[in-house]
Parts: sequence; C-alpha cells; structure tokens
Amino acid sequence: MEPVEQQIQSDSAVTQSSPEHSASSAPASPVRPERRRKPRTWETPPAPVPPTRLDDYKSIVGEAEIDELKFLARELKGKTVKMVNSTAVGGGVAEMLNQLVPLLNEMEVNTHWDVITGGNDFFEVTKAFHNALQGSDYNLTQHARDIFMMHNEQNRQRIQFSEDFIVIHDPQPAALISARQESQPKQRWVWRCHIDLSSPNREVWEFLRPFVEKYDAAIFSSQSFARQLPIPQYLFYPCIDPLSEKNKDVDDGFVQHVCDEFGIDRSRPIVTQVSRFDRAKDPVGVVHAFKQARKYVDCQLVLAGGGASDDPEGAAVLKEVKEAVGNDPDIIILDLPPWCALQINALQRASTIIVQKSVREGFGLTVTEALWKGKPTIAGAVGGIPNQIIHKLTGALVHSVDGCAYQIRYLLTHPDFARQLGQNGHEHVKENFLMSTNVRRWLLLLRILQSSGAN
Amino acid sequence: MTTATVPNLTRTPVPFYFNTSAHLLRITRQKANTLSEFLNALRECPEGSIFQHSFRTLQEHHFIREGFSNDFAHWAVSACNEPSLAEGLASVDVREFTSVAELRERFVQIVESFLQRNPAAATRTARETFYFCASESVVIPTSFVARTLQEFAQGLRGVTVHCIHHHFIEARLRLKLMSNDFSQWLYEDMGLTEAARQLNRIDIYTVTLEDVRNQIIRIVERALI
Repeated sequence: MEPVEQQIQSDSAVTQSSPEHSASSAPASPVRPERRRKPRTWETPPAPVPPTRLDDYKSIVGEAEIDELKFLARELKGKTVKMVNSTAVGGGVAEMLNQLVPLLNEMEVNTHWDVITGGNDFFEVTKAFHNALQGSDYNLTQHARDIFMMHNEQNRQRIQFSEDFIVIHDPQPAALISARQESQPKQRWVWRCHIDLSSPNREVWEFLRPFVEKYDAAIFSSQSFARQLPIPQYLFYPCIDPLSEKNKDVDDGFVQHVCDEFGIDRSRPIVTQVSRFDRAKDPVGVVHAFKQARKYVDCQLVLAGGGASDDPEGAAVLKEVKEAVGNDPDIIILDLPPWCALQINALQRASTIIVQKSVREGFGLTVTEALWKGKPTIAGAVGGIPNQIIHKLTGALVHSVDGCAYQIRYLLTHPDFARQLGQNGHEHVKENFLMSTNVRRWLLLLRILQSSGAN
Repeated sequence: MTTATVPNLTRTPVPFYFNTSAHLLRITRQKANTLSEFLNALRECPEGSIFQHSFRTLQEHHFIREGFSNDFAHWAVSACNEPSLAEGLASVDVREFTSVAELRERFVQIVESFLQRNPAAATRTARETFYFCASESVVIPTSFVARTLQEFAQGLRGVTVHCIHHHFIEARLRLKLMSNDFSQWLYEDMGLTEAARQLNRIDIYTVTLEDVRNQIIRIVERALI
C-alpha cells in the first residue's frame, strides 16, 4: 500500500494507489481503504469570522488579566494611532492588524489602519527588498530606488498623518517618515519590522537605514533581528489568537471526524508536522526521523501542509517527500488549502507529538500553535523556536534527524514527561505569545512613548 | 470566620492596594558569543538587563517548578555547556538582593571566579548568542483593595500572577528591605508578625508562582482563624 496523500483543492483530488505493495521497512499495518473519503465540505473557504472582543479572552487568560489591560489603556484613552502597512488581506501582518485594531479601539485608543497603494513595479521592488533584507543577493539599482521613493511620496501625499502615534509596518512604507512635521513635536513614530534583519543585504539596508533612524522606536520579532541603531529597539514576539479557527477549542467529535476523513487511527500514537512543503521545514528529514523512531515504537506520521499546488518549489519538495516515504502505509501526507484552519486545529489536537523540524525559520508560529494545544513538541533549534521551546522544559530542541528520531522515541515511551512538557508549553504560550499579550505590549509601548513625548 | 485580632498595632492600618507591573522588552546593544564577552556585557549592560534576566525571567517562566532560575544560568548550560557555571548562576536567589547593583556584582563574581579556574572556557564560542534585553516597566493599579484580612485573601485569589510577582518578588528593590509588600502590610498594618515571617520563608525557586500564591493564601487563611 502506498502512502496516503490527500489534496483538498478545488478539484478535491484524492490520490491513492494500489494497496498491493507493502513497505519494506514498515511494520505491518491494517489496510484501511475507506480512509480516503473525499471531504467535500471543505472545498470552499468558510465565511469570515466576526472580530473578537476583549472580554472574549477572559475565559482564556482570566478576568484579572483583561482588567489589567483596561487599566493600562486608561491613560491612553482618546489618543489616536495610525497603523500603516502594505496589504489589507493575506499575510501575517494583515491578520494581526485585523485583530489588534478593533481591540485597541474597544479600549478607546482610537486606532485607524491605512494600507499603502502602489503599482506592480513598486511591489516587485519591495518584494525584492524583502528577500534581500532576509539575506538574498540583490543588485539595488537607481531605478529601484526611484520607484520605491516615488510610491512612498505618492502615499505620503494621499494619507493624513495627524495622529498621536504613527506605526509603520515593514520596509515597504518605511520612507513615509518623511511626512513627519516639525509642527507636531509630540507625535511619535514607530517602525514595526516583521522580517528577519539578522543578515541583510548591505546595499538595501544602507538605503533603508536613514529612514529607520528617523523613527522614535523600532520593534523586532526576535533579539537577533535587531540592528545597531540610534533609536530604542523593542522586542515584540509574534502571537497567536487563541480564539481563531486555528487555535480555538474544538470538541472531540470534530477531531474524530477529521481523523476519520483522513484515515488517521487515533488508537495508535500520531506524530504530526504541520507546515508548507518547503525545504526550510525539512519534511524529508521528518520522514527519516519517523522511520528511525518507528523501529522501536509503533506510531503514524501525518505531514499536513500546503503550497504544493501553487508553488513550483513546493511541488518539487512534495515529490521528494513522496520518494522518501516510499510505500509506507503509516505516513499520511495532506496537501491542504489555506482555509482548512479548523481541520489543522483538529489534526494538532489529535496528535500525540508535534514536530517542527525546521532548518531555517522565522518565529515558527506552528510551534506556538502546538504548544498552545498542550502538545509535547519537538522542533529544530533555529529562528524564533528557542524562544518558545526551552529544551526539556517546554519541549525538545533538536539539531539533526537522529536527534529528532530519539526525541520521538523518548516522548512516546515517557508519557508523563511528555505531558509535563505539553503543560509547560501551554503555560509558556499563555504568558508570552497570545494576542492578549500582544495588546499588552502595544499599550505599554504607547505609554512609554507617551511619557517620552509628554503627549 | 472572624477578622483576625491585630496585636501590637501602633498606627491605624492603611488599606493594601494591589498593583501590578507590566514590562516591555528593550533590545540592548550588548550581546555575547563567548563567556569572556558575556562577562564584559554583564559589567556594562543597563540595570534593566540584570533585572530582566533574573527577576523578570522568573515571572516569564513562572509555571516551571525546577531547572530554570535565570536566563544567565540557562545560557551557561544550554549554549556554553558549562554546567558548573550554570549551577553557580542558578543558585543566586534574587530575594537576597535589595539592589540590582548588588545582584549584578554577584553574577560578575561568579563568572569571574569560574573563568579564573577555567581560562580556556573564556573564548570558546557558544552555540547561541546571548542577547541582553532590558525591562521597561509601568506600574498599574488593579481593582483589588484590602482593608481586612478577608479582603486581602480575596485579593490574593483574584489578582494575576504578575501582581503576585510585583508585590512578593520585585518589591524588595523598591522597599530596599529583605522583605516584600505582603509581609510588610501584614506586619505593619495587621500586626501579624509570624505570618509576615512565614511569607518570607516561601521558596520561590522550587514551585510555580501559582503555588506561591496558594502558599501565601494558606498562611493568610491560618492567620484569619
């Protein structure tokens, strides 16, 4: 029998091949042909969810915690904030602003969100800047500089900047700082950088640096992303929303339903990695680690991801994964579209262990999601993952396939220890990486900037 | 349940206002890739960094019962593979210090002493960089005020663990005393010397902050009887 692979795309193609083959290295496993039913209900995106309110978080973090946010916001009541970024939909920044802006407004910190405009030429340049700032090679031409400046100037003229606090997200609109007026000395400008600047292309960074230095403060997602700058730099970890489809509590009946649809046997241990089919996530390494571990302990592997249908590299990686899987009946590959958040949630909750064996990573929000669900988590010690996983306390950090295989074996055979890791991981997220913590950080920053500018 | 008697009171008790502190992390210029660099950074970093990586880290990891005392000790073992240095750093009890300057000096002494004994360790590259961050704090009120021991116990049950940390652990830097806000109030305003003393004996390094809260509540409830 071949590995199970399911694609829930517009055509809902579910691939399956003949069950005659048996995996040479895999232990015998019951054939479950019925497990490849076509989940038609997930073919289209669900309706948008209404924005959450602050009090909705009381059930998660407690009433006292929400009261603290309200006390923190008191001195900011009536102040105005403008957030500016480059896209209203899609991407982590827009998703975060969609949640943050209503919450700040609810606390009467009047927050407005503007999105810059630009032609294809502008977004091609800024995409190249984005990649270059994260370390890619790039030849910065005068033409690219001109396009960047021209569109920033057009947006400067189009957008009003009269608020008490202006927050510019990412490099695309960074030059809007030129809108700063001497007639508003108490106005405070913040640059929120969501990308990894630890080894930027020097030319692009030197082009942007003079703009960044004119802000009152910069915010980075990791200590290692910060640069030598003459302005204060703050650390805001990315966060997850515990009330979102991806993270909210779901009943066990739904979890069972999802497992049934995908042919996952909940009576056996389930090891899961949720991530795009991307070499940075090392899905092939996960397959090898799983196969090593399974020599000692019975388990199944679920590789749930996306990106294989609209990304040539993703498709190539998926092909490599399938080759590594071979005819293994215990490995289930799911190529899911972006709107399957609730199904991903259920898969994570069904898992015994979650793996994120990245070899390069930004912050690693899939790790945050796993920890939030109280799952013992094994992850590569890269990017922002060590901020989340304290080895042997909130999860297990690994540096190799062998290390990953060992940790899978260890955690599956030491359930009490695994449970403790899961509990600690959940608390770690609750304390540091939830949307409510993010709101707290924003309020704090505004308070600190307010006192520095005597707003 | 009756209000506890108030022995030896020399002044009118004042209410206990439960406050809390919120902290923002500022990334400083200091970072270390070797123990030698770490020692220099320890000497030069702002006081907010020493506070962050010792007092505050205890709060950020309040749910862990053992194995995590401060960021310095954690880095020494996880990135430098120096368990004996880590043990030395982890043994520092922040409650023995009433100023960050004294606390910094203690950490510096431990690292200096280790490097004198192990000079080869000074320039060995760590597996991960240690980034010094500094805490910027804002004190905020809560809705809890106690005028009696019952109200005090209610407040203890209702506030966040951040509030417990603020009054019970961070307080000594404000008070400049080897004590905490709760003990001070029990002693000065309620006249409960023994309860105040018992609170100061709670071991914050072997339990979670929730456990600490529960121990405080138990001591207060015993005083109520």
